[in-house]
Amino acid sequence: MSKWICGICGYVYDEEKEGVPFRALPEDWVCPLCGAGKRLFSPQEGQQPAPPSASGPISLQGEWTELSAGALSAVCSNLARGCEKQYQEQEAALFRELAGFLAAAAPPVPDGSVDRLLELIRQDLSQGYPALTAAAQAEGDRGTQRICVWGEKVTRMLEALLERYRREGEAFLRDTNVWVCSVCGFVYVGDSAPQLCPVCKVPDWKFERVEGRR
Amino acid sequence: MKRLAVRNLRLCTKDCLCLYVCPTGATDTENSIIDTTKCVGCGVCADACPSGAISMVPVQYPPQQKKAEGVVALANALAESKAVQEGMARQLAEGEQAPGLFRLLTAVYRSVRLVNEDLLREAGYMLPQSANSHKLLKSWLETPPSPDFPVEAAKQLLERIPCNETE
Ligand code: SF4
Ligand code: SF4
Ligand SMILES: [Fe+2]
Repeated sequence: MSKWICGICGYVYDEEKEGVPFRALPEDWVCPLCGAGKRLFSPQEGQQPAPPSASGPISLQGEWTELSAGALSAVCSNLARGCEKQYQEQEAALFRELAGFLAAAAPPVPDGSVDRLLELIRQDLSQGYPALTAAAQAEGDRGTQRICVWGEKVTRMLEALLERYRREGEAFLRDTNVWVCSVCGFVYVGDSAPQLCPVCKVPDWKFERVEGRR
Repeated sequence: MKRLAVRNLRLCTKDCLCLYVCPTGATDTENSIIDTTKCVGCGVCADACPSGAISMVPVQYPPQQKKAEGVVALANALAESKAVQEGMARQLAEGEQAPGLFRLLTAVYRSVRLVNEDLLREAGYMLPQSANSHKLLKSWLETPPSPDFPVEAAKQLLERIPCNETE
């Protein structure tokens, strides 16, 4: 008998208490706390998952001083948030204007598909985050380690949700809601938002419900 | 360090203690925004407010933490990957007819944007007052990336936000 831990919110599935071995649970079983799929659980024995430093640095092309329009749009919408937090509404609006322009200026993505999207998400999980986490650990940069911890969980959830959609199709989302944590980006599928965001711990009113097409 | 009081309207429960205690009348305004020209930064209102709705913020923020080049390079690479994902998810959502997938893809691009903002904040864009932010705005002013780029917004931001680092 062993315990399994949810990689997103830390919920513990205790086989002894539940009376059902974790592996025997149906494939569509989800974490009762945050809705993460079975795959996101790992057994407690091994304690922490392997440290992410092993996979080595990813290759960088050229100098990364120049960001693309899409990334610069996120720089600007982030700075708009920075202004909001300082109660500088007009400055926030100006940064949002820049962010909007840059988002519209980003070139269309030619080969878009859900599969391609999943591929990119998996690449972040297998290379991007491990490499950045290792570099941040080496530098003692705890701010960057924090966004790696949060970002990785949010990204894992996106992977799980897209995979589940591919398996179950529209039935997965019929008669239920899709929520986004407005602070960390955690996406949750369920009738109501979780009481606390499993990733960043903000209360449910910080979640926004995704509206359907009108 | 000189400070100013700011009121968070979402938390303010309008029980008005701050109006009674402010020595200058700065808290009593028609739009509920504390009058920065009157506030002398004494902090009495913040102490008195029962709802924790008033914060004392510094007039000048300290410089943001310096980031190691290697970390920034990897963060930027990840940010580019996020930008592609966001663009792709947005594009897919726009053309999507199935109502469930439309909502899921909408959630994905909003989520990815939030994650990317956090990533870039840690990669050198924490403060609008930082040298990095100013460098970026100045570069747009000097060489606008496109003819219809909102140069005026960049110019106004440079005028309104003082830089808190020596470049
Ligand atoms: S004391 Fe606090 S809650 Fe009362 S009006 Fe002032 S800011 Fe609002
Ligand atoms: S800090 Fe002092 S002067 Fe400023 S608003 Fe509060 S009570 Fe008034
Ligand atoms: Fe969150």
